[in-house]
Amino acid sequence: MAPLSTDQLLIQRIRAGQADAWEEFIARFEGRLLAFVESRTGNRASAEDVVQETFLGFLTSLPHYDDRQRLESFLFSIAAHKLTDYLRRQGRRPAVPLAPWPESQSGADVPGKARAPSSIARSGERRQWQEAALAHALAEIIAGWKNRGQWHKLACAELLFVRGMTNKEVARRLNISEQAVASQKFECLARLRAAVRQQDLPQELFPELYETP
Amino acid sequence: MSAITRRELEAYLDEALPAEEMARIEKALRSDPALSAELAAVLACRDAGVLSIGAIWRRHRLSCPTRQQWAEYLLGTLPEDAAAYFRFHLETVGCRYCQANLTDLQRQHSQADAAAAQRRRKYFQSSVGRLPKS
Repeated sequence: MAPLSTDQLLIQRIRAGQADAWEEFIARFEGRLLAFVESRTGNRASAEDVVQETFLGFLTSLPHYDDRQRLESFLFSIAAHKLTDYLRRQGRRPAVPLAPWPESQSGADVPGKARAPSSIARSGERRQWQEAALAHALAEIIAGWKNRGQWHKLACAELLFVRGMTNKEVARRLNISEQAVASQKFECLARLRAAVRQQDLPQELFPELYETP
Repeated sequence: MSAITRRELEAYLDEALPAEEMARIEKALRSDPALSAELAAVLACRDAGVLSIGAIWRRHRLSCPTRQQWAEYLLGTLPEDAAAYFRFHLETVGCRYCQANLTDLQRQHSQADAAAAQRRRKYFQSSVGRLPKS
């Protein structure tokens, strides 16, 4: 069995109810959480309140926390939820209206050949495994780019998928042709489709991989 | 100003765009019913279990440097090509998680955040009662 990481040991002590471990946890993470929240609230006092709610939220969700998950990411995701709630209460973040399943909407832009929810097999654990499998494939692609010093490929994929920019905007930002962007996007999607086939994952969960250019 | 893409709406739902982009989308959502309907459709896909590359990439923070690497960046000990990518990730991608880590490290380094101990005490006192019972 692999030795426990510093984070895992700290969580173990918090689960045992050790107050000094909780104090250490707060000292370790509050600064970065505060900076994250403050970048949106623009107000220190409100940001501190959101961070306080984040720590309370963490203790509430502790029984469900999976130790294999990166602790910092887990905390940031709680902070993002608390921040969204705060911004909604302030009237800054509009509420999202409910929509029927997009296939029933005329003209709705449904990516690929997405099927209705009832036909997508997705128990919690299975879905986590499917997501982890694609994340692993993506991580391998990214590691390959980094190891080969192909930073431009990483930059292009990040703007396309993480920031969600159009090919045209990515080309402008990176000062390369749209054709070059399209080609790198095609290469990345092809490698991910191969991973989906290899892992025998259901294609309908990842409609973006089968979009026509 | 460029049109807002479906992938940007996904990132918006994840609270993962730079603050000024988040504000731009919030403003557009208030005045554009079509964009609001598009956002609802994105959310419906997500609720149905559809997974996007961007959401997975962000959730697992697949390209984010570690906090230790950001500390090395601040010390100026990274190779130039890696440091250039770190700057890109911060300034062009606008990763708020990494920006938060860097801001925190800079504050710790400059010891400018003298109120930290007081804040930590407040967080501790307001939450310690919720610790699991040993």
